[in-house]
Amino acid sequence: MRTKLLAYSEDRSWAAQIKSLSDSIKAEASIFLPKKEIAEKVSGLYEEIYYSDLENFDPLAYISAFFEVAKLLSPEVAVFPCTGKGRILAGLFSAKNSKSVATDVYNVQSKENNLIAKRLVYGGKAEVDLELKIPATICLLHGSYVEAKANVESRFNKVIKPNASCRVIFTPKKVEGMEPDKAEVVVVAGRGVKTKNDLRMIMELAELLKGAWSVTRPLAVDEGWAESWIGISGLMVSPKLYIGIGVSGQPHHMMGARSSKIVVAINKDRNAPIFDECDYGIVGDLYVVLPEMIKKLKNMKQK
Amino acid sequence: MKILVALKPTYDINQLKFDSEGVPLLETCPITLGEADKCALEEALRIKESNKAIVIAVTVGESQSHIKGIRDALAMGADEGYLIKMKNAWNISSIAVAKAIASFAQLTGPYDVIFTGAGAGDTHSSIIGPMISALLDFRLIAGADQVEVSENMVKATCKMEDGTYYYESDLPVVITVTSEANEPRIPTLKAIIRSKSMPIKEVDPSVLSLSVEEFKDLKVLKHSIERKRIILEASDQKSAEESVEKIITFLKSEGVI
Ligand SMILES: Cc1cc2nc3c(=O)[nH]c(=O)nc-3n(C[C@H](O)[C@H](O)[C@H](O)COP(=O)(O)OP(=O)(O)OC[C@H]3O[C@@H](n4cnc5c(N)ncnc54)[C@H](O)[C@@H]3O)c2cc1C
Repeated sequence: MRTKLLAYSEDRSWAAQIKSLSDSIKAEASIFLPKKEIAEKVSGLYEEIYYSDLENFDPLAYISAFFEVAKLLSPEVAVFPCTGKGRILAGLFSAKNSKSVATDVYNVQSKENNLIAKRLVYGGKAEVDLELKIPATICLLHGSYVEAKANVESRFNKVIKPNASCRVIFTPKKVEGMEPDKAEVVVVAGRGVKTKNDLRMIMELAELLKGAWSVTRPLAVDEGWAESWIGISGLMVSPKLYIGIGVSGQPHHMMGARSSKIVVAINKDRNAPIFDECDYGIVGDLYVVLPEMIKKLKNMKQK
Repeated sequence: MKILVALKPTYDINQLKFDSEGVPLLETCPITLGEADKCALEEALRIKESNKAIVIAVTVGESQSHIKGIRDALAMGADEGYLIKMKNAWNISSIAVAKAIASFAQLTGPYDVIFTGAGAGDTHSSIIGPMISALLDFRLIAGADQVEVSENMVKATCKMEDGTYYYESDLPVVITVTSEANEPRIPTLKAIIRSKSMPIKEVDPSVLSLSVEEFKDLKVLKHSIERKRIILEASDQKSAEESVEKIITFLKSEGVI
């Protein structure tokens, strides 16, 4: 009998990545999405698509809708995106419904009746092979699987909206420029960038490369220069190109960019850990290197 | 009001080293209470000061680091400290840890609020708090950057990937707190000395009627991603120009710009 998998997602990209995982272990996959508008975007990826009309993220309401679907299907595996919300839902779901749970998973294989998951620990410095007893809950890292293509007829099923567990007021984040988790190029400023005004150079480089810009956590949290940051406690990205400028490359940050195709670092300290994790690096003062890079790219564009 | 704070000593992963086979050298890696866990305790202590509450700190494990973690919590101002005795605390699944804390809460409660850090410094799963909420049927506020608890309600602000959520919830509630929520207090010398004479109570897992399954084959190895590591120098203007030129050529041939 085929393993039954139930996915949770809030967008098409995640839905397609989880579908790919599901295909790789030959599972029979269904998906739950919180709203109809999002569910429609997933059409063609899953045969059975479940949705509700949930509003702003209320963890207990969301999980009880998901649980309604799980009761119907009795999945052996539940898969959530390894995002802030995905982790919360995975915790809520697994406590009562799973024999095992693993977050930060980037590979899953089936083994007899169980699953073997590879998970990252210690901020991505180390990996662990875990045997997950079924039923299992998994939080999948972004960029671990390529997006599956739409190739099935989808049936849409509505789940009744559960009661709210709390009052929620949501303020969407302001996005200046492109969203880092959707961009093919991400330029990141670290504490080597001295003033907020200097961020302009970072934004200019991002714009020249048709990408997004972001920061490390200290610049967002301590300095308040941006609303989000890249890393395990922020956004996880997997662009084609990541450029870290004045970023030291501590594990909690790098975890958020580990599946980038190419990593470039500009840092004045030859011993910064980011140089161990980059494809191309320049040891030098960003205030010299960055203007040079911007100048060259502008020249190229004009030609 | 009765408040439980669940704490976990964590490895300082910025200082984690590996041997030549890629096995992490955990024995020599410093361990302290996680930053977010300390913020969770700080929130509890602030409620205690303004609202009268009793604050109980608990951890799952019995190593010296676990004892030290609870000792630190007592020094910061927790009223009572407990160890749920388990030998290989580092190798216990998160489901078992959450079940242990939830059963402990049932045994020593009822609690109005259970605090925990939003993520541990080493594994950072961020699932223990939500699990405890599910096991006890408590409300849940996860990832709070700002918390305000009153007699019968909690108001909190949580930053998530798509924006900021403001929540108002009834009690009893599990609240997970981020390391941005506050500046945890540093205990005074007097408090540290006083805490040394406070008992750390031990709880046997059998009292909590738990069957604890350990991970099998927990093989932890260094994770390395294949990277080219081509490093160029830019010590002056001229070398900067040359290096930038080269990098742009590389990136073009990679097809990423
Ligand atoms: C539980 C936990 C979760 C965390 N989650 C995250 C997360 O999600 N994301 C995140 O980013 N961090 C996270 N952190 C923090 C993380 O550990 C690091 O502290 C942080 O990433 C460091 O940011 P940075 O590289 O900007 O600063 P620093 O480490 O201070 O590095 C600055 C770098 O700039 C270089 N530099 C200085 N001046 C120049 C110059 N003129 N030219 C070139 N280079 C220069 C320096 O050599 C240095 O390497 C977390 C920490 C914890 C404990």
